[in-house]
Amino acid sequence: MSENTFRKHIRESIADENLQIALDGNARRRMAGRLEAFSAMPDFQERRAHAHAIKADVISHLDEYLDQFIAQVTANGILVHRAVSAQAAIQIFLEIAQEQDAHLVAKSKSMVSEEINFNHALETKGIQVVETDLGEYIVQLRGERPSHILTPAVHLRRGQVGQLFHEKLGTPYTESISEMVAIARRVLREVFLTAKIGVSGVNFGVAETGTLCLVTNEGNGRMVTTVPPVHVALMGMERLVPSLEDLALFLSLLPRSGTSQKLSVYTSLIHAPKRANDADGSRVRHLILVDNGRSSMRSSRLAEALYCIRCGACLNACPVFREIGGHAYRGRDDSIAPYPGPIGSVVSPGLLGCENFGQLAQASSLCGACREACPVDINLPDLLVRVRAGQAGEGRNNQKRIEGIGIPALVKLGMAAYHFGAGKPALFSVVQRLGGLLSHVISPRNKYLPLPRWTGWGYSKDFPRLAMQPFRARWRNIKQTVGHYKENKRQPAGESLPETQVTKSLSVRFIDELAAIGGIAYRIPEKELQNRLAGFLQEHGIERVCVDSIGEKCLPGIEVVHSPDPTVQVGVTGALVGIAESGSLVLVGGEDRPLTASLLPEIHIAILWASDLVPSLPDALARPEIRQAASSVIITGPSRTADIEMTLTIGVHGPRELYVFVIEENLE
Amino acid sequence: MPKIETVQLFVTCLTDTFFPQVGEAIVHVLNRAGVQVEFPSAQTCCGQPAFNAGLHSQARPLAEHTIRVFEKTAGEIIVPSGSCAGMLRHGYLELFKDDTRWLDRANALAGRVHEFTEYLVDVRGISDLGSRWPGKLTYHPSCHLLRFLGVDRQPRLLLASLRDAEIVELPERTDCCGFGGIFSLEHPELSAEFLKRKISNLEKTASPTLVVCETGCMMHIQGGLQRARKALRVLHIAEVLDTR
Repeated sequence: MSENTFRKHIRESIADENLQIALDGNARRRMAGRLEAFSAMPDFQERRAHAHAIKADVISHLDEYLDQFIAQVTANGILVHRAVSAQAAIQIFLEIAQEQDAHLVAKSKSMVSEEINFNHALETKGIQVVETDLGEYIVQLRGERPSHILTPAVHLRRGQVGQLFHEKLGTPYTESISEMVAIARRVLREVFLTAKIGVSGVNFGVAETGTLCLVTNEGNGRMVTTVPPVHVALMGMERLVPSLEDLALFLSLLPRSGTSQKLSVYTSLIHAPKRANDADGSRVRHLILVDNGRSSMRSSRLAEALYCIRCGACLNACPVFREIGGHAYRGRDDSIAPYPGPIGSVVSPGLLGCENFGQLAQASSLCGACREACPVDINLPDLLVRVRAGQAGEGRNNQKRIEGIGIPALVKLGMAAYHFGAGKPALFSVVQRLGGLLSHVISPRNKYLPLPRWTGWGYSKDFPRLAMQPFRARWRNIKQTVGHYKENKRQPAGESLPETQVTKSLSVRFIDELAAIGGIAYRIPEKELQNRLAGFLQEHGIERVCVDSIGEKCLPGIEVVHSPDPTVQVGVTGALVGIAESGSLVLVGGEDRPLTASLLPEIHIAILWASDLVPSLPDALARPEIRQAASSVIITGPSRTADIEMTLTIGVHGPRELYVFVIEENLE
Repeated sequence: MPKIETVQLFVTCLTDTFFPQVGEAIVHVLNRAGVQVEFPSAQTCCGQPAFNAGLHSQARPLAEHTIRVFEKTAGEIIVPSGSCAGMLRHGYLELFKDDTRWLDRANALAGRVHEFTEYLVDVRGISDLGSRWPGKLTYHPSCHLLRFLGVDRQPRLLLASLRDAEIVELPERTDCCGFGGIFSLEHPELSAEFLKRKISNLEKTASPTLVVCETGCMMHIQGGLQRARKALRVLHIAEVLDTR
């Protein structure tokens, strides 16, 4: 197979008008969003450096952190499997599926599953895997691979999705994104409720506590880790952070970088399978830790790429990605690289082989926009150069280093000739003069020569004539008159006015933040709670609600259920704490505390005592209840997606509406 | 009488071969800043094209040559290019990572290297040379200068000091122009798209002149303008400062 399929795909992408509109929109909105999200974080650069240092420590001591993590996860009751290769990971999963006699798997987004070609491998064994992230679901229906780490269907426009749903699902053609989201909700809800196994990825594993942290916006991540009786988590073995405190740091960077959110809507913190008295949760949890080239990458010069937290910011910032999208990143065998963009051009060759994917690293002008966007400060330009220099394979056994993989032979030859000449000043000078003469003979009048297209340069620009007299020849004739520079008085820097510090109470901050993400809060005194709740339900014509023990206490005289019941429209729950800086709620599962009550219904009502408000995420994660619960979740607004044309749409798999009753003792 | 500072000029192969007038302007401006310039004539190319392409065994002899040439000299080394300055300061350390003897020599060199505007503003404390440019100017911050060396304030300060000049902000200014060394040969389609966007943003400023601190971008953008038959021109900042 010729390596020029890569260039063919580049050309096709550039010529694809729909794709260009979609990619321009993605780049503009994501870049602006990211900048805005971090503008309110004055210590961003310090956090970034700190995150880099933490990841450097984790990757250099990976074995110790893995031992600690595995011991802790196992002690928590989760079954841990280690897979050295893609095939091994698939085999482990197949054994679990056979044991459960599972033929339908509900899956949330996982990049490592793309890397190991999970869906395809399972389908050949007669197991149907349904992607439940809206974007993933769309590309799966199209028989494609995701074109972006975070927004898999970023290459499509709404009409294409409407047509797809019409053809594959038999629904009437629509161009309304909210209608499309409603269709997906309905179809996939069935999958969540009937699948025997839920498969998820893992965004962060916490070594000290054995926590599996999973971040989603739509709620499908919560679904697949809560509703099916068996949950299998796939995790790249490098995705570790040492402690919950470190996790808080990374959670302050990941959503801001990826989707410009302070926190994603749902941050699941999973510790254990359902315990005997727990209201809900998967009965059995497996964790498959995937190596698949990570060990060898770790011992190569590409180790820094293992710091990646898969936020997608480098894709959004990359001018190459902006032109070609994720599907054009191809190996020599024409296969689509599982990881696109700048990080993908390092990780794909690093994990899956330089021979096939090394050429991707050549498609970069080394402009450094990727590094600038990276929240972990991964030096992507250096890593890209290392891939080009054949340093990807160093960790593998006896692999020969091949320099300049993917460079056309002619260019290599030209470079060799140039560098030979440049090594010898006398020769260099002669060649300069000859070149100058020749280019003036070819183009006596015009300072620029039109080179033919095949030279590459001539494709879009003219080439300057070489000077008849290069600088080294002119040097002798330059007369230097060194002047005496008189210091100019510098303009005094304008003194900035001290910013007015407005100290808002925690509850006001919480309410403002919640409103900004589409939730509604009411501050009420405790004595009014029952009446207000009853009034709310009456107004909405609700007769049955799903509750936890707090909700039950506050709703005398109303029919309540405690178990996951998809027909119930409203869930009423308590909250362990509220986080003022992001308008988030922390809910822990357990006895009388079904997590499905805040997930399955269309409306979620939470009751939060103002005294349980904390300023920020680290304060919340320090609460011991989180570690003790089998599963807990940080909820930041109603379920949402931006998977179709980046248009924010509320209510995919989780509740469409979120109300919080903030109880304040001293309120009149 | 203050002591006259003497610096070494690493003019870069592109400036030397294609834009010698930029080299002359650099010398004039440095003279005006009270600096005597020396030009070690054995210098050629820093090896950046091969290094960035991953052809490290080709880049190495040039890096060694450049180190040898400048080791024989004293004083700060001035480079009129962000990417070549970055190569000398950072690329060499990467190239000689496993060779402590050369790494020490590369480190010693790196400590002396300054990009032209960085030297004027940060080392010499100069923000106004009394230069004059009647008309509009806009500035393209080259990628390596901006992101690898973190130099942006310095050229802006110098441009702001120009008498009679109107500095217009270039839209999407931090976007790459698509040069990237052999990237522009190897991926001409991508390079062309970047360049198209850069030129279209340049036209939005209605400025007839684009200022850069990098002869690579200069050659690339000017080449694109020539091909598109546009009467705009690209100048190195030294050419703009070499006026009165």
